Amino acid sequence: MTTSALVFLLLVCGLVWGGFVVLLVRAVRSEGRKSAS
Amino acid sequence: MSAKEEFASRWGLILATLGMAVGTGNIWRFPRIVASNGGGSFLVAWVVFLLIWSVPLMMVEFAFGKRTRKGTVGAFAQLVGGKWAWMGGWVALCATAIMFYYSVVAGWCLRYLVAAVGGRVLTDSQGVWEGFTGSWQPAAFHLLAMGLGVAVVLAGVSGIERVAKVLIPSLFVLVLLLTVRAVTLPGAVRGLEFLFTPDWAALGSVNIWLQALTQNAWDTGAGWGLILTYAIYMRQREDVPLNAALIGFGNNSVSLLAGIMVLCTVFAINPAARDEIVGAGNEGLTFIWMPRLFAEMPGGRFFMVFFFLALSFAALTSLISMIELAARNLIDAGMRRRQAVLLVGAAGLVFGLPSARSLAFLHNQDWVWGVGLMLSGLFFALAARSFGLEKLRSEDLNGEGCDLPVPRVWSFIVGVVVPIEAVTLMVWWLWESRSWDPEGWLHPFRPETTGTVLLQFAIALTALVLYNRWRQRRQEGVR
Repeated sequence: MTTSALVFLLLVCGLVWGGFVVLLVRAVRSEGRKSAS
Repeated sequence: MSAKEEFASRWGLILATLGMAVGTGNIWRFPRIVASNGGGSFLVAWVVFLLIWSVPLMMVEFAFGKRTRKGTVGAFAQLVGGKWAWMGGWVALCATAIMFYYSVVAGWCLRYLVAAVGGRVLTDSQGVWEGFTGSWQPAAFHLLAMGLGVAVVLAGVSGIERVAKVLIPSLFVLVLLLTVRAVTLPGAVRGLEFLFTPDWAALGSVNIWLQALTQNAWDTGAGWGLILTYAIYMRQREDVPLNAALIGFGNNSVSLLAGIMVLCTVFAINPAARDEIVGAGNEGLTFIWMPRLFAEMPGGRFFMVFFFLALSFAALTSLISMIELAARNLIDAGMRRRQAVLLVGAAGLVFGLPSARSLAFLHNQDWVWGVGLMLSGLFFALAARSFGLEKLRSEDLNGEGCDLPVPRVWSFIVGVVVPIEAVTLMVWWLWESRSWDPEGWLHPFRPETTGTVLLQFAIALTALVLYNRWRQRRQEGVR
């Protein structure tokens, strides 16, 4: 696999899947806080 | 509203809305469109439009549903005035017209799932497809799909939530398994290279940007009225912006997995036929080529079952949301849920039959109401603008329960950028369609022409505006 394709793969997947995971974690934490209060 | 008509938890709402957003378009359209639009460069434009079309419009829909607790017609009437209720009617009409043929598509997926489970490795997939579509079976499986959807919606929001909690995590696992299988095939790396090699010069092509915007408009469900419908049942202290962003990113995550899965499979098993596969259309890729590719893959029989199971789950959860949208508008008009859902189911069954019998009719409806969705997106943006973008942002997005404060730029995106995008898309698609049938592009009775869109839009819009006027006069008379 070429380096540019590998870098681009990491960039796009990181942005889309990483974005999803970060948002999910934030939602879980916030839900935890809300149910604790 | 009774306690029953509320999502029991945030996760129920998120999974149901993800189920709405993730449909067949993620699995059968996205990989084709990426492959035929330059791979990597398309992905850049696709991510940009996730942020300046899908997520902002999803926030508008969530805010409308949560604020009004009414279906599309009631929400538009309450937020922008009864005179404009026909806009909500248009949104409902588009989603319902799509439901009519989408049930047929869900039926195809179920039929192929049965065939895959039964061990029929579809080597003569072309013949099987032609035999299937030329028979009574699409109508029978359309009945089955509609029956399953109606059964879930009859149970109310709790039924939708229960089903989503099972089907959506299963769908994610299935797509993940298929992707892992695909990337571990010998030669799959060529698919990854194709998908992720950026061609920066291609980003100068207007077509790539418009295709990326179209993919976002068609496969995230933003601007369809379906998110608004589910938002009716969200809890009062529920967040809007974080949920909207989560659903947008979750939907596009599935698309990306599907793109990797399909393209790695194609490049590993039959790279020579790449252009033919990509150019075979949604049905050609899914029902003719994928079975052929699975037939040549080690363990392909099992993975074919997973593939059609994932596709069936994606189709059914989207169909459920469309049934709920139509039923909710009838419930707002005074019907009981049971009556409304059964009426929608019966209408869906009858009006879906022409699409079950004729692929040309299905393609016509897909084309007309696909363009109609862009108008729906425009109506949402205009309604939000008319209601007051800053008011919506401060009270509904950044108000009670907010987990992700929305900056002021959101108002600019919804008020200015989204309308420009919607109008550009509609004009571009209508202009493009002239080249599909240069002789008869204005012909109103050919499947995919500019003329058929204009005729059906004119009939629908005239009927909606006249009905709304009549209803308003009657209400004024009663007062």
